Amino acid sequence: MSARRDLSRRLFLKSGLVATAGFGLAFHLPEIACRATAIAEPFAPNALLSIEPSGAVRIVVPRSEMGQGVRTSLPMIVAEELEADWTRIEVVQAIAGPPFRSLRTSGSGSIYGGWRALRTVGATAREMLLTAAATEWNVARTECRAENSTVIHVPTGRRATYGDLATAAAKVPVPKPEDVPLKDPKAFRIVGTRVRRVDGPAIVAGTAVYGMDVRVPGMKTAVIARCPVLGGSLETFDAARTRKITGVRDVVRVSTGIAVVADTTWAAIRGREALDVSWDEGPNRAFDSTAYAAELEAAARRAGVVTRREGEGAAALAKGARSIEALYTYPYQVHAPVEPANCVADVRKDSCEIWAPTQAPDTIREQVAARFGIPPERVRVHVTLLGGAFGRRLGIDYALEAAETSKAIGAPAHLVWTREDDTRNGFFQPSSAHLLRGAIDASGNPVAWAHTKASFPHSAFGAPSAAELQSSEYLRDSAWGAYDVPYSIPNIETSYVPVASPVPTGPWRSVYSPSCTFARESFVDEMAHAAGRDPLAFRLALLAKDRTVRAGELTLDQGRLARVLELAAEKAGWDKPLPKGWGRGIAANIYDQDTFIAYVVEVSHEGGRVRVRRVVCAADPGVIVNPNGAEAQIEGGIMFGLSTALCGEITIRKGRVEQSSYADYPVMRIDEAPAIEIHLVASNAQPAGLGEPPVPPIAPALANAIFAATGRRMRHLPIRFEEPKR
Amino acid sequence: MASFTVTINGEARRVEADPDTPLLWVLRDTLGLTGTKYGCGLGVCGACTVHVAGEAARACLTSIDSIGTRKITTIEGLSRDGSHPVQRAWIAEDVAQCGYCQPGQIMQAAALLARKSRPTDAEIDDAMRDNVCRCGTYQRIRRAIHLAASERAK
Repeated sequence: MSARRDLSRRLFLKSGLVATAGFGLAFHLPEIACRATAIAEPFAPNALLSIEPSGAVRIVVPRSEMGQGVRTSLPMIVAEELEADWTRIEVVQAIAGPPFRSLRTSGSGSIYGGWRALRTVGATAREMLLTAAATEWNVARTECRAENSTVIHVPTGRRATYGDLATAAAKVPVPKPEDVPLKDPKAFRIVGTRVRRVDGPAIVAGTAVYGMDVRVPGMKTAVIARCPVLGGSLETFDAARTRKITGVRDVVRVSTGIAVVADTTWAAIRGREALDVSWDEGPNRAFDSTAYAAELEAAARRAGVVTRREGEGAAALAKGARSIEALYTYPYQVHAPVEPANCVADVRKDSCEIWAPTQAPDTIREQVAARFGIPPERVRVHVTLLGGAFGRRLGIDYALEAAETSKAIGAPAHLVWTREDDTRNGFFQPSSAHLLRGAIDASGNPVAWAHTKASFPHSAFGAPSAAELQSSEYLRDSAWGAYDVPYSIPNIETSYVPVASPVPTGPWRSVYSPSCTFARESFVDEMAHAAGRDPLAFRLALLAKDRTVRAGELTLDQGRLARVLELAAEKAGWDKPLPKGWGRGIAANIYDQDTFIAYVVEVSHEGGRVRVRRVVCAADPGVIVNPNGAEAQIEGGIMFGLSTALCGEITIRKGRVEQSSYADYPVMRIDEAPAIEIHLVASNAQPAGLGEPPVPPIAPALANAIFAATGRRMRHLPIRFEEPKR
Repeated sequence: MASFTVTINGEARRVEADPDTPLLWVLRDTLGLTGTKYGCGLGVCGACTVHVAGEAARACLTSIDSIGTRKITTIEGLSRDGSHPVQRAWIAEDVAQCGYCQPGQIMQAAALLARKSRPTDAEIDDAMRDNVCRCGTYQRIRRAIHLAASERAK
């Protein structure tokens, strides 16, 4: 499976599957038509929607809920077109397998991919209910109106609830999608309003079920001892002391190490501690992330594979009146969701049931079926709530381990990763170095821009081939935010130098964008200052309201980017004076061509410390389904990006990840959180995503603010601000 | 293994466990009370926060043999129906994103409000800084605590 498939909606754009990817097949199946009538049958015109005679409206959610709010926002779209009473919606999680072609949740693509299809689902059912009422009342369909789970015959006021009509609606032939009218957005009553998330009550009561909370009869709990050196393997082990621990049931060898199986999690953890293991440290025992970082810095100064060239490219650097350069570095990062990886698997002879906090239930289903020789239709994968994911749960290693353990013990197994396991195993956000070079003419306009990224593309779903490592298109797609520099500069050259690394890497919230956008938006600031110009005005001069720019397969709308820059600056009071010691920075980004984010960050510098005081965001993600959820995603993305900018990094010595928990891979805490103000741009554009787009621009906005406050450039993340020695 | 009787959410419960077993695992695995979450087991994330004799404590650092007669309250026992002012404020402000850390956040906030009825922002920082939220809901947590404080004052 290509790594690129995970990463964005861009492949969907290419293959024209926008309206149907993962969603479509479930909707436009005329075979899932009316069911034969019986007494009090539910009305279920489609796999995603059923209406009970009781009036309950059940909406199935075909995406994983990891905090991004899909269990609320996707049903809102259906309920809107259905004209349903939102207070009577029940949300059901989809189970992987037919009729769902894909439940994969990634790329900030759930609303984007589902918007039209989900509207059609709701509208189709609405039309069938209206037809059922009109038929029953022997009136014209056009005299009937649907509202709040009720059909009303307007001339007479006669009403029937959806529950009353369910059985009759099930007899109505399912109309074709093209014959189903969608609502005028001006008539929206649910979409566009602030809605609280559906799981809120269960969360605050402590009854919400995450992967860690699944309990099935006969279940055992297992933890796995894995080699602490990346890429190492098991030599020998002795489980004598382990087996003596009360509660330990079994010790079994699995592909990734040794599983200690016990009645309780605590017994399994203690059992693992008591194992006597010797490891073959393998080929990566000397890998050192600091040495690798030095390799990256050297590589960024070499010629790479050119991923974009405009005008004369880098050759024009010599033509300016003044040129500057800067090197930025970005370390390995880890996802660190509060729920560590885990999975419950019950593998039987020719069937299997799995419960997982996963972003990729179809992949689990396929691979478990293949590995254990079970027909896929007999592998049932339940998606639980996820206690955070940020891309890590696209990997399914924990699920395969659970299945392997279950098979070995002949019982359901809850395979649990401890916090240390979650920090050290799986895949990381890659480390990178970025050399930025720019030239300005005598009037202070940029005339040339060059960005070389040195890093290595993801390995988690298969290492890149030799051909891919020389491919402009492939490497371009490993440098989001670099090649798609959105500003109009006459000469641009971006390139990529691959530097091999044995560290497993894979998708992490906004993927390749944060490192490139950090470098790019910091360097735009450096160019502005070199030209003696205000960083906001400098950017706006490179954007035009009615201009789009092509970069690779992306079309970048400069007008929408300018709009969010202006709005953020206006709301922040860009020109207003700040308290002494404070500084203001600005940065902006277009994510995947359809989400536009700008930040103004204010920091204070006092007592040798820098504190983030305020973040003002202007965001344009197209039509906004749930403004409450949109703001939450932006707040969260800001905090996630600030954690990268200020707190943690993953370091590797002698092939071992040094960090193990929030104690040594810190993340932002409440006492460090800035005040956040969010301004959402109203729009009719196709609804885009907000899961990832808020992350990339926050680190450069912060770095630019620190420069404004202190005069010092922060080019290396994480920023560990120290007063320079006198 | 030994026998312990502990009072959880007002009920005396008898459990068999090794004396050094953290309360976290007794709650989750022995008693089936999974509202208290495992985030790190090391006392650095706060996801396992419960009340021991009314004070916030990390269940992962509290051994079963250290509890004695002190009463334990978990998220399940904070109220019968989600009606504790902190829970209501968490709903009103729609604090949660993934929600996994929130039982711990709620228990920590409830303990704060039990001893400080109108906490300042600095007091909120002090009380809540050891509870990690990777989804970044801190701004809403702060608003909800202020809301719960003002509701309680009514």
